[in-house]
Order: sequence, then C-alpha cells, then structure tokens
Amino acid sequence: MDLFFNLTLNGLATGMLIFLLAAGLTLIFGLMDVLNFAHGGLFAWGAYSGLWVYSQTGSFLIGIAGAILTGFLLGIITEKWIIKPVYGNHVQQILITLGLMLVLSEMLKVVWGPNQLTANPPDYLVGAWEVGDVIIIKYRVFIIFVGLLIFGGVQYLLKKTKIGLVVRAGVMNKEMVQALGINIQKVFMFVFMIGSGMAALGGVLLGPYSGVIHAGMGMEFAILAFIVVVIGGMGNFKGSILAAILVGLSGSFMAYYVPDLSLAVNMLLMAVVLLVRPQGLFGAKG
Amino acid sequence: MFWLVTAFLLVLPFVYESRNLMILLTQIFIFSVFAMSYDLLLGFTGIVSFGHAMFFGIGAYSIGIFMKRFEPTMVHFLLALVATLVLTAAISFIVGLLTLRLKSHFYAMLTLSLSGLFLVLAEKWRSLTYGNDGFTFRIPEPFIDRTHYYLLCLAVMAAAFMLLKRFTNSPLGRVLQAIRENEQRTESLGFQVLHYKIAASVVSGVLAGMAGILYAMSLRFVNTSVFSMDITLDALLMTIIGGVGTLYGAMIGAGLIEFAHDWLTELAKEHAIFERWIIFFGIIYILVVMFFPKGIVGTLRNVSFRRKKPEPAKKAEKLAG
Repeated sequence: MDLFFNLTLNGLATGMLIFLLAAGLTLIFGLMDVLNFAHGGLFAWGAYSGLWVYSQTGSFLIGIAGAILTGFLLGIITEKWIIKPVYGNHVQQILITLGLMLVLSEMLKVVWGPNQLTANPPDYLVGAWEVGDVIIIKYRVFIIFVGLLIFGGVQYLLKKTKIGLVVRAGVMNKEMVQALGINIQKVFMFVFMIGSGMAALGGVLLGPYSGVIHAGMGMEFAILAFIVVVIGGMGNFKGSILAAILVGLSGSFMAYYVPDLSLAVNMLLMAVVLLVRPQGLFGAKG
Repeated sequence: MFWLVTAFLLVLPFVYESRNLMILLTQIFIFSVFAMSYDLLLGFTGIVSFGHAMFFGIGAYSIGIFMKRFEPTMVHFLLALVATLVLTAAISFIVGLLTLRLKSHFYAMLTLSLSGLFLVLAEKWRSLTYGNDGFTFRIPEPFIDRTHYYLLCLAVMAAAFMLLKRFTNSPLGRVLQAIRENEQRTESLGFQVLHYKIAASVVSGVLAGMAGILYAMSLRFVNTSVFSMDITLDALLMTIIGGVGTLYGAMIGAGLIEFAHDWLTELAKEHAIFERWIIFFGIIYILVVMFFPKGIVGTLRNVSFRRKKPEPAKKAEKLAG
C-alpha cells in the first residue's frame, strides 16, 4: 500500500512538471501552429535562473517569481525576434526553434558552467508527513498543488475572461478572429509569454525535486512533453493535463518495476496514438 | 567543378604528407555522406527529421558489434553492411509509415523521441554495447592503412553524390521536389505522396547508416555519442549553412563545420569561450534560416543568376511548404 501510494504520488508530481511544459507547447501550437522546439530550453533557463535567484535571496518563492519572470522575458524575445519572422512556414519554424534550443542550452553552460548544480527545497518543504504507515513527501505534494493551481488558473483565463475567449476563438479560426478586428499578433505574444512562463515554472520546481539540474535536462523533459502533446492531442489544453498525468504515472511505475523500459513504454504509447488517433486520445479536433 | 576538386583530393595524400589533415579530410568525407543523406530529406522532400543520428548510430554499432564479436574479416564486414542496410531500411520505413501522412511536426517529434530511445537502449543494453563507455574493435586488413581508408571514404562520397544526383533527377526525385514545393497540388495530380515520401525516408536512412559504418571504422571505436543529438545537429548545421537542396551545399557545409570545429578546438586552449564553439554555429544557423534560407550555395547561385538577367521582383522563396 505504502509503495503504491508513493509511486502514485511520485508519478503525479512528475506528471505535473511535464504538464507545465506541455501546456505551453500545446497552447502555442493550437493557436499559432508553431511547434516550439526551444520550449525545453526555456524550461532549463527557468530552473537555472530560479535557482540563482533563490540562492541569492534565500527565498524560494522569490526564486520561483524570478524564474517565471525569466520565462516571460525569454518568451517575449523569442516570439518577437525568432518566431515572428517565420510565421506560416512550418519547416523554417521547426528549424529555427531547434537552433534556438541549441543556443539557449549552450548559453546556460556559458553563464553557469557546464557542471550540474545541486538544488534543495526550502526548510518548510523538507521532510515528510506520516499518515499511518504511509509517508508523504511534502515537496511532491507542493508540486502537485502548484500544478493544479496553474491548471485552474489557466482554465479560468481561457473560459471566463475576454482574452481567453479570443484565444479559444483563435485556436478554431485565426483568420476569422483577425477579420473581426482583433489584433491577433498581440494575443500570440500573450500566449507565448504565458506558455514560456509555465515552462520556466516547471523548470524551477524540478530543481529541488530531482536534487540536481543540468543543461541537458531541457531536452529530456521536452521529449516527454512532446509525447504528452501527441497523446493529449495537439492544441488541447485539458488533454495535456490528462496525458501528462498518464505519462507521469506510467513513468513512475515502470521506473520501479522495469526501469529499462520506462521511456520505451511512453514511446510505444505515442506510436500507437499516432497510428490510431493522430488527433490525440482526448481530442475531438484534428 | 566537382570532379576537379575530387581529382585534387585524390592526389593530395601523395603530394602533401600530413596525417592530421588526412584524418580531418576523412571525417569531412564521412560527414558529407551523412549531410547529403539529410539533404535528401530536408532539401529535396521538405521533411524535417530530428533523429538522423539514429541511423548513423545503427550503422556505427552494427559494424562495431560484428567486428568485436567475430573475427574482423571482410566477410563479417559485409555481414555488418547487410545488417545495417536491413535495420535502417526497416526502421525508416516504419517511422515514415507512422508519421509522414501527418503534418511535418509529427515526423520531427517522433524521430527526436525515437533517437532518444535508441540512445537509452545503447546505454542500458550493456551486454551488447558495453554501455556508456563504448568499446574499441579491430577492423579488416584492407582498411587499416590510413591512406587507403582516406581513398575509400573519398570514393564513397563521390559515389553517394553521383547516386543522389541521379536519384534526385530521376522521375521519382522530381516528384519529391514537387512535394516539397506544394504537397496538395502533387497529391491532386494523382501521386501517392506518402509512398514517395517513404521512399525518400528509406534511401536517406540507409545512406546515413553507411556514413555511420565509415565513421565507426575510422575511429575503430564506438560509444553512445553516435546516437546523441549532437550528431543530428551536425547534419542540420551542415545542410542548412551549406545550402539545402543542392547536395554541393551539404558537402561544403560538412567541410566548413569540420574545419571550424578543428580550428576552434585549438583556440579553446587559449580562451575558454571557444569551448562553447557550438554557440557561434547556433547563432549563424538561426541567422541563415532567417535571412538566407538557401544557405551558401543557394545564395551564391542566386547572385550569379541575377547577373545574367535581372529577375522580375520575385518574393524570397521559402525553404519549403
């Protein structure tokens, strides 16, 4: 029981981190038709900058804020200078965002050195609660909480606010929104910023969770996020959280029982989804 | 022009004796083959693959495993060749079948994750691959001499160039270029677009596997780095900077990047920033994609074309649909 519970908690926490990354990817893709291969780079930048601010100020919350700010900033720069010039051309977009990924992760090594850094959770999140014979690690609960909070927040933004309405309309039909006199460029920028901020948040939360951060982790998580985006359906926000939890759980259980196959199972899942339902498990839209 | 350079390279080892230069040139030939195979996908068909290292690595590991497990003879070399052929063809066929009917993003994503899977496989399957550390192996007698090997690689590069030139100018290659320019239109003309794309994917995968074999044999060593993202990035940089859809571009790009790599590694001893040499290429790469989507060769061709007759103001042609 204890084991089962812990693996579930672990999978949920990992799933939330992947969700934070995949949500931005899927929103950006749905609205702008851009698959941002540099998203993992933003994730890693969030982790490094957040850790840096955390170590400078001593406050984990300020560190998180710093990471999100870095994400916003990098998101704006990326959208404005890198992605905007190549809108509408898929191949160029894919190529250019991968180039950006390369530059971002190399820049990390220039600024913070090529070695991995250690990260510890703040005092109030260290340790665990004991309920009967079940041990609940506080930090994992914290990650799940933050993930759900972000999900609720973005869901509220999408469903209840004016800008959310525009975003949802844009996902359905960009041209129509533009024809109605709405400056969709600004909406693009906004969504890109939010997506990058979420990725950076995921990065900074990962640090104390895994204990170390390194420049290559952006790519590792980006691959998981791609799998999630495919399984959940491209452009499907709700699908992304369900798929992220699925991938997180299967990853954590497989990692315990058959560690060598954990990535393979997720890959297989993705291949099956691609074959049978290319629009994603939870999506109705193509 | 191509034959002139080839002839020059052919006599070079006999007139100018430099072991380092020869090894560097051998590397360039190998990566030229690899980059050309990538160019077939990206430049001629308009497919973006982020897992080309997978095929390269399969080639490298099959030769390594065959040479290590069995006697390093020509027979086993041929067996490794066949194994690579079959494996790369099968995998590129399956990947193509799964994703090429969808948008270009899917192929890029699936190849990226699949090559990640192969990297993990090579790390974990220790009994076969010796894990992260890799292993050294002996190679068959005829390949040991560096000069012979240099000539072999040169020959393979020339052969691959000829083959791809014929291939891209064949009716099949024409259809591929049509797909790159306008997929819907090609389909409405009655071509089974998927079949053609899979054909390109298979040819490209097999050729990349061959490059992997040559690479592993030149080092007489193989480890998991052959599956790493860096290898794919190399191909991408070479093809893009050199010029997509030209074949010459891939070779020029390979030469440029390998030379620069060699040179910057030297410089890194003096100043640490050059250790991160890839960053310069990353920035150059982004600029090239943005402003010169045709790369060096394509841009030069445009310039020389313009001199002959002023073109009517034509919009900058995009890389691909």
